[in-house]
Amino acid sequence: MFGQQLASGLATGSLYALTAIAVVVVFRNTRTINIAQGDFSMIAAFIALLLLKAGFGYGAALALTVVASILVGVIVERLVMRPIADSDWLTLFTATLGIYYIMHGLAGWIWGRDTKAFPVAFESKPIEIAGIVVSEGHLINMGWAAAIGAVLFAFFRWTKQGVAMRAVTDDPETARLMGIPVRFIVLLTWGMAGFLGAFAGVLLAPIVYVSPQMMDEVLIKGYVAAVFGGLYSIPGAVIGALMIGVAENLAGGYLGSHYKTATAFAMIVVMLALRPQGLFGIQKRRDI
Amino acid sequence: MAGARNPTARASAHIVDREAVAHLKQRFAAHNAWGVIALFAVLALLPFLPGFKPWMAGQISLVMVYIVAAQGVSILTGYTGLVTVGHGGFMAIGAYASALMVKHWQVDILVAIIGGAIMAGGVGVLLGLVFLRLAGPFLAIGTLGFAFFVGTIVTNVPLFEGREGISLPKNKALGLELGDVGFYFLALTTFAAVTLFVHSLVRSSVGRALTALRDAEKAAQSCGVNRLFYRMVAFTVSATITGAAGALSGLSVRYVSAEVFADIWYSVDILVACVVGGSAMLMGPIVGGAFVALLPFVLEKLADFSFILKGVVLITVLMFAPAGVCDVLARPVRAWRRRQLERAGAGSGAGSQAGAKVEPLKRQEG
Repeated sequence: MFGQQLASGLATGSLYALTAIAVVVVFRNTRTINIAQGDFSMIAAFIALLLLKAGFGYGAALALTVVASILVGVIVERLVMRPIADSDWLTLFTATLGIYYIMHGLAGWIWGRDTKAFPVAFESKPIEIAGIVVSEGHLINMGWAAAIGAVLFAFFRWTKQGVAMRAVTDDPETARLMGIPVRFIVLLTWGMAGFLGAFAGVLLAPIVYVSPQMMDEVLIKGYVAAVFGGLYSIPGAVIGALMIGVAENLAGGYLGSHYKTATAFAMIVVMLALRPQGLFGIQKRRDI
Repeated sequence: MAGARNPTARASAHIVDREAVAHLKQRFAAHNAWGVIALFAVLALLPFLPGFKPWMAGQISLVMVYIVAAQGVSILTGYTGLVTVGHGGFMAIGAYASALMVKHWQVDILVAIIGGAIMAGGVGVLLGLVFLRLAGPFLAIGTLGFAFFVGTIVTNVPLFEGREGISLPKNKALGLELGDVGFYFLALTTFAAVTLFVHSLVRSSVGRALTALRDAEKAAQSCGVNRLFYRMVAFTVSATITGAAGALSGLSVRYVSAEVFADIWYSVDILVACVVGGSAMLMGPIVGGAFVALLPFVLEKLADFSFILKGVVLITVLMFAPAGVCDVLARPVRAWRRRQLERAGAGSGAGSQAGAKVEPLKRQEG
């Protein structure tokens, strides 16, 4: 029982991690708390559903969705965020609220407000590993999340753009003086948010179903996880996401499903009250 | 805009004719006051106009509820500079506390509203204590988490009857049964009282301490402004006002359910109302609240379109009037007043932009 709860907790947690990483990356590069991150995923899930219904294979649909979602991120940056890039963080944050309204409205307008089922790509049969019965779907989700994590690691470690992005994170002004195209990096950041949003949306869609408000709760959990990393550290955010996944699954299993979501929200309160600087004590002083 | 933050503060040094300037300032303040009084007079006379239907009373009451809630947010977000995305949680607490009191104890709704407000204020104290050290984005996320927490509680704890909701009997105040129009006057009275309160608070020493902490935290602290104390005051007052708005919103439709209060829409809407109108101006939440509340009503058939429009207006306002619509509308009035003051002061220099912001602090030092 405990093993199962742990495994499925880690599986959902790894999907929360995708949202959490996107929140962290956007915040540390642009000072923006992006409340529309969930909507990137929501739009992506709708697009994927549309493509699957149109007869595309799962792989092709996923690839097209990811491209479309990156475009959504880029468009948001160009149209909305860039003109106000120098404003204070409240203005940036409220602007993403505006995007949140618009995307909710658009999705509701085009696709309706009712929840839709999302087809699973594979038959989910239980597999036994070391005495713990795990669903195959959970393993695949974890595999996807791990693969994306590896891609991100490689990006930040070995590509020019990735290193430039870390430089912008550390000190945008110096990065600019060193000749790094900061605007392009910011554009790339939003593209990355779209990329991560697409995977979060498509992988979560079979679990939370597709509707305009499908990501609202996941987004908050992504925020909680991001706070675990002090809104700055990606590993911290990932660990936070896994902890939330496990904690809410254990609470759901032992206390009753009502307590599942309440757990995550209780965690945010405790976390912020005790360690607002994040789990690892990253104290990056910046003007926010 | 009448009732906007006193722009006359900007005319500063080198004033020769102090008496004339003081006199003019008084006149401008009176103009502002008359503007606000005129607004409330119109609202008070509205139900007596021919063609006024009871359903309009209900609708306008709802608008006033939004405005009062946004006024609560403006104390914290506008004047104190602590951004909250969780005030929907306080609305829910106010609404549920008052609804449960009416349902189980059959109390007078005046008592219920006050009870709901006190309950929300009490939780505000607790939340203020828990989030004592947080500021900026962290506080925003924390309050958002709080709103969701309240949402899951009212959805799942049996006492609150979840999505089924609590239906309430006819509203009774002071032994009289209140219809839609009666309730309209109750909401209007609350609205007027809160407006007067916010106006006085902002101009009191407390209000000056709050704005000083917002604009120059370190400097204010070094002048002896107790940061934690005033933070708690702001949290409590703001939560109480928003809680009262929540109580009114539940009682106005005599139905409280998780369907309405578990979502973050209230939280988001009242913050947006503040930002669109201008969060640190008396008229800001009034204009913004009316906008946010009326838009879905005007576009009733096109609910999703009203979302899109709300988003587009919000982003446009942020791009072209980051300090809010009222700030832009008040600009010509301010410019005219400044010219008048300069003339009256004979040769007085134009105050700098920055001068206005630090103004409350200066007064504290003196």
